[in-house]
Amino acid sequence: MIVVEDIHVTFGRGTPLEKHALRGVDLTIPEGEFVTVIGSNGAGKSTFLGSLAGDVLAEQGRISIDGTDVTRWDTPRRAGLVARVFQDPMAGSCAALTIEENMALAAARGRRRGLGLALGSDRRRNFRDRIAALGLGLENRLHDRMGLLSGGQRQAVSLLMATLAGSKILLLDEHTAALDPATADFVLDLTRRIVRDNRLTTLMVTHSMRQALDYGDRTLMLHEGRVVLDVAGEERAGLDVPHLLALFAKQRGGVEISDDSLLIG
Amino acid sequence: MTEIALFGAIEIGLVYALVAIGVYLSFRILDFPDLTVDGSFPLGAAVCAVLLIAGVNPWLASLAAALAGAAAGLVTATLNVRFKILHLLASILTMIALFSVNLRVMGRPNVALLMQDTVLTPFYGLGIPDHIVRPLVVGVIVAVVVLLLARFLSSEFGLAMRATGVNARMARAQGVDTDAHVYAGIALSNALTGLAGALFAQTNGFADVTTGIGTIVVGLAAVIVGETVLPARTLALALVGCVAGSILYRLAVQLALSADSIGLQASDLNLVTAVLVAVALILPRLRAKASRSVSRSPSAAK
Repeated sequence: MIVVEDIHVTFGRGTPLEKHALRGVDLTIPEGEFVTVIGSNGAGKSTFLGSLAGDVLAEQGRISIDGTDVTRWDTPRRAGLVARVFQDPMAGSCAALTIEENMALAAARGRRRGLGLALGSDRRRNFRDRIAALGLGLENRLHDRMGLLSGGQRQAVSLLMATLAGSKILLLDEHTAALDPATADFVLDLTRRIVRDNRLTTLMVTHSMRQALDYGDRTLMLHEGRVVLDVAGEERAGLDVPHLLALFAKQRGGVEISDDSLLIG
Repeated sequence: MTEIALFGAIEIGLVYALVAIGVYLSFRILDFPDLTVDGSFPLGAAVCAVLLIAGVNPWLASLAAALAGAAAGLVTATLNVRFKILHLLASILTMIALFSVNLRVMGRPNVALLMQDTVLTPFYGLGIPDHIVRPLVVGVIVAVVVLLLARFLSSEFGLAMRATGVNARMARAQGVDTDAHVYAGIALSNALTGLAGALFAQTNGFADVTTGIGTIVVGLAAVIVGETVLPARTLALALVGCVAGSILYRLAVQLALSADSIGLQASDLNLVTAVLVAVALILPRLRAKASRSVSRSPSAAK
């Protein structure tokens, strides 16, 4: 369970470029809920995800994960509780390390790393079984460098890596935005499967309203650092992209949407 | 080249192989260009020489040299990680400071080791010529270091260190305390360099504050030569490549200096080294440029 109480984040405070990115976000996400997050560029989606992951520390407010106050924790410390997949397939894994080395890194998340071998034979066998379940034929390429994989394969392995350490929270930052549509669909289906099988509490930031409504149980819309729409259940089931667009336009004071990327899909 | 010159080149190559491995750790694994080695190499030599003269056991003196090197590395890492000074500048600051520190340690610009026991002493009486004993003993020490380091880098801690250099953001997201790994890696790199300095003092019979000049370039040259002759797929092989590169570099230098027809003098060494490293750094770029222009031509397009 994630509880966020009135968090504020400001970038470049006191400079001409000062940006109040989050202006009081209040949110409770129960265990096992799959939440999709939309909003235009600069709405604070990535900052919000970053503030949960620890990349950005909130200057005001409180964040607790499974009852532990993590507001002041930095990224490595929170990594034991939170797994992430980034937008850029290159960002979420080490291109110069092999697939199994990347998996070993992820499997040790939240543990003390000692001088024991990172890749014992038991662990190798476990990794082989886990990656075979992806159905991508990667089980015979464990010694290949991660950089040799395609963007879709890397995102699929990143998703798998997110489940290796047994953390219960998954943060997805537009993790399909850099992929072609067919690959994006594959990765999204895989996401759904992994979230369900591991009963993960998930936040997925997306640029696509279609995806936001099709996946998950609850949808948030951020605008100028605030949550302006929070729908779930029947209300959400009755929503379609045009409704969402209308709501979105209303939030922006009736201004027509100029952000084309929001209309796609 | 005479036999003595040949073994001499191998010996000095093996001593500097430890520097090459240290430079490989900082430059290649941590992606941290660290010039501290120019100071930590003579620091290791100075600490070892002074302790030997004080009658300390040679192995303990060598260990102390390595620890002194590690301390120098920690200073650089602290300046960079804690105080956000650019890594290159942080290491130059430490390097400059170490020049004074080394003078203080020795109390004068150089110290001669004449009658003192060294790690080599027990092996001189075995009936093998001295000029072969030295590279043998140093070679065994280097082999042990390579084995230990290869094992270390395949541990969970070592893997996290490699990830820190490749993709720090990802490493942090996987719970790796990247700062701690930079501290550990730079300390280890300079510990190896300090140990190399100690071996240099013991094989050559002196420690001198000026021996540090250009250590980084020699180390880098060895790494680059090693990568060229032994493009390694695994880490253990890359470390062996550093050793091979260091020896080959010394042999090439020895060859160039002993061939009178080229007209090079010993004093040309630094210039030759700098040119060699520059060429080795430029070549891959030119090759990449050449292959880019080929793929741009219509005949090569699919």
